[in-house]
Amino acid sequence: MSFVHIAHLTKRFGNHTAVGDVSFDVPEGSTLALLGPSGCGKTTILRCLAGLETPDGGTIEIGGNRVFDKVRHVDLMPEKRELGIVFQSYAVWPHMTVAENVAFPLKVRGIAAAERLRRASKMLETVGLKGFEDRSATLVSGGQQQRIALARALIHEPRLVLFDEALSNLDAQLREHMRMELRVLQERLGFTAVYVTHDQAEAFGLADTVVLMNQGTIETSGPARAVFAKPATAFVARFFGMNVLEAKIVGPVAGSNYVDVALNDRVTVRGVAGEKLDPTPGKTVLACIRKESVRADRVSSDGTRPATIEAMSFLGTAEEYIVDIQGVSLRASQPAIGFRRGDAVHVAMAADDWIVLP
Amino acid sequence: MSKPIINRRESGASWGGPAVNTSRRGQWLQVGLPMAGVAIGVLSIAGPFLATVVRSILVWDGDAVGVSLDNFARLFGDPRFASAAVNTLIAGGLTTFFAMVLGFTLAWLVARTDMPGRGWFETGNLVPFFLSPYVGALSWIYLLAPHGGLIPRLTRNYLGFSLDWLDIYSIPGVIWVLTLFYTPYVYLFVIGPLRQMDAAFEDAARVHGASFWYTLRHITLPLVLPALLSAALIVFVTSAGLFDVPLALGSPRGIRFMPTEIFSLVQYPSDFGRAAAFGMVVLTVTILLTLLQRSFIANRRFDTITGKGYRPRQIHLRRGGRIAALTLECVYIGGAVVLPTAVLLMVAFSKLWTGVFLWRTATLGNFEYVLTKYDLTKTAIANSLFLALTGATIAVALSVLQSYYLTRGNPKHRALVDALLSLPLGIPGIVLGLGFLIMAIRTPLYSTLSIILIAYIARFFPFATRTVTAMFLAISPELEQSARASGASWWQTMRMIVLPLLRPALVAAWLMLFVIFIRELGATILLYAQGTETISVAMVILSERSSGYVAALAVVQLLLLLSAFAIFRLTRTSISQS
Repeated sequence: MSFVHIAHLTKRFGNHTAVGDVSFDVPEGSTLALLGPSGCGKTTILRCLAGLETPDGGTIEIGGNRVFDKVRHVDLMPEKRELGIVFQSYAVWPHMTVAENVAFPLKVRGIAAAERLRRASKMLETVGLKGFEDRSATLVSGGQQQRIALARALIHEPRLVLFDEALSNLDAQLREHMRMELRVLQERLGFTAVYVTHDQAEAFGLADTVVLMNQGTIETSGPARAVFAKPATAFVARFFGMNVLEAKIVGPVAGSNYVDVALNDRVTVRGVAGEKLDPTPGKTVLACIRKESVRADRVSSDGTRPATIEAMSFLGTAEEYIVDIQGVSLRASQPAIGFRRGDAVHVAMAADDWIVLP
Repeated sequence: MSKPIINRRESGASWGGPAVNTSRRGQWLQVGLPMAGVAIGVLSIAGPFLATVVRSILVWDGDAVGVSLDNFARLFGDPRFASAAVNTLIAGGLTTFFAMVLGFTLAWLVARTDMPGRGWFETGNLVPFFLSPYVGALSWIYLLAPHGGLIPRLTRNYLGFSLDWLDIYSIPGVIWVLTLFYTPYVYLFVIGPLRQMDAAFEDAARVHGASFWYTLRHITLPLVLPALLSAALIVFVTSAGLFDVPLALGSPRGIRFMPTEIFSLVQYPSDFGRAAAFGMVVLTVTILLTLLQRSFIANRRFDTITGKGYRPRQIHLRRGGRIAALTLECVYIGGAVVLPTAVLLMVAFSKLWTGVFLWRTATLGNFEYVLTKYDLTKTAIANSLFLALTGATIAVALSVLQSYYLTRGNPKHRALVDALLSLPLGIPGIVLGLGFLIMAIRTPLYSTLSIILIAYIARFFPFATRTVTAMFLAISPELEQSARASGASWWQTMRMIVLPLLRPALVAAWLMLFVIFIRELGATILLYAQGTETISVAMVILSERSSGYVAALAVVQLLLLLSAFAIFRLTRTSISQS
């Protein structure tokens, strides 16, 4: 059953509509990621959920409680919503010790000092900061501040925890590590989480459900795998870094979901027709393919096309190329082989990897 | 054929500044000029300081001079000293407290709420910073003197109740006027942190269960506490050392304060030894407090409190809150700016001030007399303008050199130099004036405008140095290094790169010093002689003769101060727009 229920949420700043009529549910105990480029409205939704921003319309329910309802003039103060939150800047208060920071939610709930300290110590142990109680909060590293913020968000056992780009300030290795730890913690404590991020790896690594936002509205949403595997729109395809090319429909393949499209006068490819695609021959559409699905090889085999390496860049574990297939430029990413600019290669692309969107 | 443009050997890395030129002249300029600026600053303070120290331990016995602590013994044995010390501490302490409460509240209202008219109040709250406390105190005498004051007269005549129990000539009167003038200091210190604070600090508290008031008390206030306490210390030291207000409101009733007590000790029959001993006590306390403040700031700077993300949320005031906020603003700006200016104009345009303004006795005579007929006031206006224009220019030039040293100079000595150069910040004008008086009394400098000019610069250059140093820190040394690498000499780099970039700070510092010099009284009162009076001194001299002339002179001074403020606002907006 759904724990968070957002319906027709709208928020304007002056003339700018930051969030326009957004609705989604978060099932109890699951994680939802609000993903999107900066300025897409994802943080505004999170802040509306926390009560830090007053929406201009819609309703918000948390755990069966209506915390915001424009029509019925319900707008619970942030402190009445029983949440935990972790900010990108961590917001660890510099004038308090580590233990005071972590125990803050208990203090404002009137819990006795001894009990507070006991629970703070336990929570610090959980996040791997045992023995840090009396340190000044300003004298710990960024990763440690992140854990303090996390401990503070969990100590009063809220049933919903909000994360605002919570891992973005950490370095890559630490981020990886914290992502795993967060998953473990969540499974153990069973809270529901809403996670705002612009980083797709973070979203897929943490979330059961992904909501991809664009300019204040939902572009696509669903289980993480489905959203990634089958981009619903060209925006989604571009956001995930796919090749997106303009093409013209040649015609549908009878008895299947495939469609043939022409990328230019010489190159025609077969791909999967996306939803709502009108397969009228001659219509302009977008053909998308993941970089990793474009494979260049020295030898030709069945179905490969001759191409030239236009540019390459070495990325360590992988190499990225721009390949030219008879006038069509595509980006390709694959394990390092060592092609050079100008090399003649053969490129393989499977029909199932091409997605044709309106 | 041509000389190499870049000298790789001396990259000047340890100095953090641009590469050192091999040309002897260039190097001499680059190292010598900033050092000279620092030396002038240190010497201008050391001279009067040493003079005070030496004079405080010298005792004359007939013609024989001896060294002893007699002066201190006589000072501490005098009940007048105890009374002055206690009154000064009470007035300074309570002024600090009220200025903190008022300054924080006003800053918070402007920075964080949707109070109507915020834009106006943002500027309005700063106006008292530019006005003369002496004139403020005089205005409040016109407003609230028992029996003769405008306000008691109005309430008696029109509202039917008496305010005669309100006596402006009292310690509360002094505290009231001081609070009006020192509130902007606190306001200026805390409004920045309140504005730039990372919203997440407060948001996190709210989401985790804290109410609005709890968050204000336990999160917002502690986060601006370092700024608030720095402001408190400066307000305490400067308000307790201010001569103007006790002179106007304490002396008429014989209420003793430290600055007025030092002043009367050097009046006939003068006792310079005891005055110097008093000065030493004040200097010691001031320097200790200044050092305390420096170490406090060093220990408790929350570099992390500003964030790049969301700005703090604007708090919506309900009806009651809006009314309370506007009332507070009206009381403050009314008390500090509107009422004093109004009464000043009334007095200045009255033939004879009797406590009410009558159109039939209105006259321009006071202005005519002060501006064209009376030698004392004509000289005073000319002197004040000369001192302010020359003094501000010299002090700003000096501050550029000092700031260069403080940001680009030898890092080993910077901290010490910074501490030395900021010492005058807290030293009361009257104490520094006393030092210069002792130092110059037997030299040709005595009773010249030059000694007043030197005292002004010595006392106030740190204000300019502060402002310019802050701007210097914002200029990347690479901008200068690029100029040097492109072939410019140090002097050319300063002229074509550094000074143009510093311009906003130079203008702000110059205007601030202009304002301070136009209204200065504490140091001038001990150093002036016939022919070297300033506007403020002329007002003191005339205050016992004619309120009309004093008020007319005060209006002239007010116009000078307000035009400086107007230029300040104009340049500030144009800077922020570009």
